[in-house]
This record gives sequence, C-alpha cells and structure tokens, in this order.
Amino acid sequence: MNRFRSLLGIALGIAGVVLVGCQAGTDAGGATAGGGAPKTGKKFKVGISIPAADHGWTAGVKYWADFASKQNPDIDWIIQDAKESGDQISGLENLQTQGVDAMVILAYESGPLTPIAKKLHDAGIVIVNVDRGFTEPVADVFIEGDNKAFGRKSAEYMAKKLNGKGKIAIIEGVSCTVNTDRVEAAKAVFKAYPGIQIVADDKGEWNREKAEKTMANMLVANPQIDAVWASDDDMALGVETALKAAGRNKNIWILGGGGMKDIVKRVMDKDPLFPADITYPPSMIGFGVQAAAGILHAGKDNAKKYMPRHVMIDIELITPENAKDFYFPDSIY
Amino acid sequence: MKKANLLTEYGALIALALLFVINVATRGGNFLQIENLRNLVSQDAAVGVIAVGMTLVIIAGGIDLSVGSMTAMCGAVVILLVNKLASSGMGANVAILLAAVGAIAIGAIAGLLNGFVVAYGRVAAFVVTLGGLAGFRSIALVLGKGGEIRSQVSPLQDFGFGGLAIPFVKDAAGGPVLFYWSAIIFIGIALLAGFGLNRTRFGRYIVAVGANPRAAEYSAINIQTVRLAVYTILGALVGLASVLVGARMNSIGTGSAGLYYELDAIAAVVIGGTSLRGGKGRIWGTVVGVLLLTLISNMITAYHIDTNWQGLVRGIVILVAVLIQRGKKEDE
Repeated sequence: MNRFRSLLGIALGIAGVVLVGCQAGTDAGGATAGGGAPKTGKKFKVGISIPAADHGWTAGVKYWADFASKQNPDIDWIIQDAKESGDQISGLENLQTQGVDAMVILAYESGPLTPIAKKLHDAGIVIVNVDRGFTEPVADVFIEGDNKAFGRKSAEYMAKKLNGKGKIAIIEGVSCTVNTDRVEAAKAVFKAYPGIQIVADDKGEWNREKAEKTMANMLVANPQIDAVWASDDDMALGVETALKAAGRNKNIWILGGGGMKDIVKRVMDKDPLFPADITYPPSMIGFGVQAAAGILHAGKDNAKKYMPRHVMIDIELITPENAKDFYFPDSIY
Repeated sequence: MKKANLLTEYGALIALALLFVINVATRGGNFLQIENLRNLVSQDAAVGVIAVGMTLVIIAGGIDLSVGSMTAMCGAVVILLVNKLASSGMGANVAILLAAVGAIAIGAIAGLLNGFVVAYGRVAAFVVTLGGLAGFRSIALVLGKGGEIRSQVSPLQDFGFGGLAIPFVKDAAGGPVLFYWSAIIFIGIALLAGFGLNRTRFGRYIVAVGANPRAAEYSAINIQTVRLAVYTILGALVGLASVLVGARMNSIGTGSAGLYYELDAIAAVVIGGTSLRGGKGRIWGTVVGVLLLTLISNMITAYHIDTNWQGLVRGIVILVAVLIQRGKKEDE
C-alpha cells in the first residue's frame, strides 16, 4: 500500500514535469529570431485569445490563428481558448503578467470582456478586437465581418431564386449583435417581397444538433417549406439531417453561411440542396494577427497615424461559378 | 507508516508546493512578480467561495450540482437590481451593496429550497440539485432573455478590479498593485468557515451528520436542520460569488456565467482531501485545491501549452487525489 501511494506521489510530480517538458519543446522550436525584433533585442510577445471551438466556425478561427501566427515567426505568439467569459478574463490576466505587447481578442461575450479589455488597454497593451466587439471603444483596431450585408445579400439571393414567391423558414443563432444584425437585415429584405412568407422562425444556436431539432419541429408544423434561411453552415448541416429524416429533402433548398468547406464543395458540385452559400470567413482572425504584428513592427505611435480604428470585412455570395475561389480543402472549416 | 501519512494527509499541499518550486525554477521572476501571485489567488475567487460552501455540504454527506446555474441566476439578479436601484436615483455604492444583499438572499433561498427537498423530501441530493442545475439556469436565461445583462453602473466594475494597495509594490506604469476585493473575500470566507467547522458545535454537528446520520440522530442532533443549514449557507455563498463574477465582468452572460462551476468546486474539494462519502474534510484543503487548479491554468498560458491539454492535466490531478484518498480509507 505504501508503495502504491509513493507511486501516486511520483505520478503527481510527473504531471508537473510533463507541463515543463512541453515548454522546453516550444522554446526550442521558436528560437529563430526574425528581422523585425524590437530594439531591445527581446522578441515581441503577443497573446491571441479566442472562444473554445464549440462549433465549426470557431474551430476555423483556431486554425487560422495558428496559421497566421506561424507566418510571423519573429514574434512570440501565445494562443489560448476559453470555455466561458470568466475563463477568458483569467487567461487575459495571465497573458498580461507574461508581459505581452499586444493582444488579439475575439470576445466570448461582448459585455463581460469589456472591463478587462479596458484595463489592459489602459496598461498600454495594443488591443486588436476581432468579430465580437466590446461595448466601449477600448480596442486600437476593431475588425468585424459585415453582418448586415450577410443578412441582406443572403436574403436578396433567396428572394430572387424563389422569384419573389414562396414559404421560408428562418433558423437563428445565439442571441447577440451578430445574430440580430443578420436576421434583421434579412427580414427587412423579405418584407419588400409580399409573395414571400416566413412560416417559421426559431433558434438553432449555431449548433448542428439544435438546428436539426428545430428544423424537425418546423417540418411537423409546416407541410410546405420552399427554402430554409439557416444563417450558418453548421446549422445548415443540421437542417439537412432533419430534411432527410423526414423524407422532405426534395423541392427545398438551404442557405447557410460562413463558407464551411463541406458546404462550399456542395455548392461547387451543384448539389440542389445547396445552390449557394455566403462567406463569413473565420480567417478574419488572421487579419487581426497581421494587424497586431504590423502595429508592433511600426511602433504604436507611428501605426496610429495610418491604422484604421474600425475595419469592416465584406461578405460575398458563393455560387457554383466562383466557389473554387472560396474552397480551402486544407482548412478545417 | 508515518511517511505515507504525510502524503495522504498533505498530498495536495505537497503537489502545490512542488508545482510552485517548478515554476520558480523555470520562470523565476516572471512567476514571482506580485501581479501574478495576486492573480493566482483572485482569478478563481468566485469558485473558491463556492468550493468552501461545497466542502461543508459534502462533509455533511451531501452534494450540490446546482451552484453554477445558481451563480448565473443570482448574478442576473445582481445586475438587474443594481441597474434598477441606481436608475431610481440611489447612490451607486449603496445600490451595489443592496444588490449584493439581494443576491445573497436569493442564493440563500435557492439553497434552502435544495436543502428542504433533500432533508425532508428524502430525495437524493444528486437528483435534487440536478433539477436545480437545469432550473436555475433557466430562470437566469428568462431574466436575461437568453443573452447577457450589462450593468449601467460603472462603480460595479471598479469594485471588480478594485482592492487594497499592496504596500511597497508598483506596477509597470508606477501605479499601485491592488490586492483585489475578490481575493480578500475568498480568504475571509475560508477562514470563517474553517473556524466554524473546527471550533464550533455546529461544525462538529456537520461532521457527525456526514459520518453517521443514525448515530448523530441518537445523540440528539437534528440532522434535518443541519442539512438544511449547510445547503442554505452554500446558497448564500453562491450569491456572494455571483457578486464577484458580476463585478469582474460588469455584466452577466446568462447562458455562460458559472458554467462548470459545480465541477470546478467539487474538484477542488476532492483534491483538498475531503471525502465524497462525507464525515471528513477540511477547508484549507479545498483552498489548496482551488489554488492548484488555478495554478495549472496559469501554467498552461505561461508554458505556451495548447489549452486543449488543460482538461487532461486537471483530470489526472483529480484522479490522483481521489486514488490517494481511497488508499487512506483502506488503511482505516
């Protein structure tokens, strides 16, 4: 028994050593100093803080954050993902004590992350905010996708393809500004077409399984639906599952959003269920990474003279004609 | 035999000390800077306050899975109350204080409800509080209409990142380094609970009820009252924790606030050496458990480890802690 306990003690020690071992590995890998190092001879350090990958789009964010930071090996990048807002705040505090020069933040939620972002900004850390904004202007650069254009362009495509006439279902995401902007812009377009009837409107939480359940319920309640405005590609896949399960996958089509490679491929292959998709590239985090690197290289004061405070990324319609320009088979999204 | 007891008794503390030494050896000044040490104590202060209450419940032979959802519910109440009171012309600090009292009261009522069904309804605590886990979250979501509730009262935020200046220490910009209120409250609650558990009659009752309810009943202890009391205390502490969370974020995301707090709190209690079978436990162990879990998160950032590994490391630590405990039981 004594021996068993000693072994456990050793195991506990090993857990610690393993942690340190991992560090040794990363240090050795990143030791090549680049040309744009700061004058003191020390490498710049930048933290990237993103929500944990709970659906395809956020997994894409992680992929592109990794990818973009690897293109800037002269900077010491620390990527961390958070399972909820409190976790993200603690992570940001830890990054601060690590002495980071800049942070690229995709907030788990806008309100909860604003106080800490303000505190970090006041401490002189460059803040690049991507996608989900803060409630106060505390970011040096704010990069977001044009969610109103997302709603408008997708709804215009849907209305035209239906020739201004038909019954549609709307599946919404998690309640936040991103979802509100998309849905309201889309509904404003549909309103202009009196022949288009929204027969169902409910939440799918940007989640495949939830969207599947929501769609299944909608199908029971509505004998005829001509098209589904699903507003996200994870949800579009859930909708497809529900349609197939109900044997209703004919004479109906789905418009998702985000540019997931699986959906883009289906558009490219002219799948009748997916005639088009709309972009909302998770690679925008990469642009944030470049912005942070650029600001540090130029020096904060110099960069301020020309860096925009707010960047809005355009949203594009993906059709079979242009799908190959949006198809990235190596990306995980 | 003595040597083995050292490990079973102080395993968590030894592990914490070991990790501390490893950090000092490999990170040196970066790890030892006052801000970092301060963060270690304050970052999980809310979970810590809850874990202290959870220790009492577990020693009394119960468990509470509803604390995370309860945090969201009480947090929603804090923010709504603070906004309401401040907009009615009340001073910000008074409004915050009253809202905090309100949240603690709501938490205590929710805890009382849990305790009542457990003690008098004779339903397993696991099941009762599983109901709470679903129910309290739902109330929070209703209050926040599924989204986040933001405070319109900025002094709340000042409380979240406010505290007592640590003497003789300056930050990079030359300002004082604050020891956050959240950490002070966590330490205060832990000391209070430790005193209550070890030095009062009520503390001895909690242990007695957890160790052997029948024997406790025969020695004229009202076991129902004791059970009711520990759940109520835990509920009130959850209310207090929700104030810390709400202040830190100046808002409450009703879908995400307090998520997995029940698991973090139970993990800290178990790592600290409190037996899930009840009747035996210690507050200081739980505090060590909370600090150990916070230190692991801290190290994940410091050593550039992919955060996806964090769960595995935590899992190993929890398992090892439980295995050591099991060894102890077999000896007895």
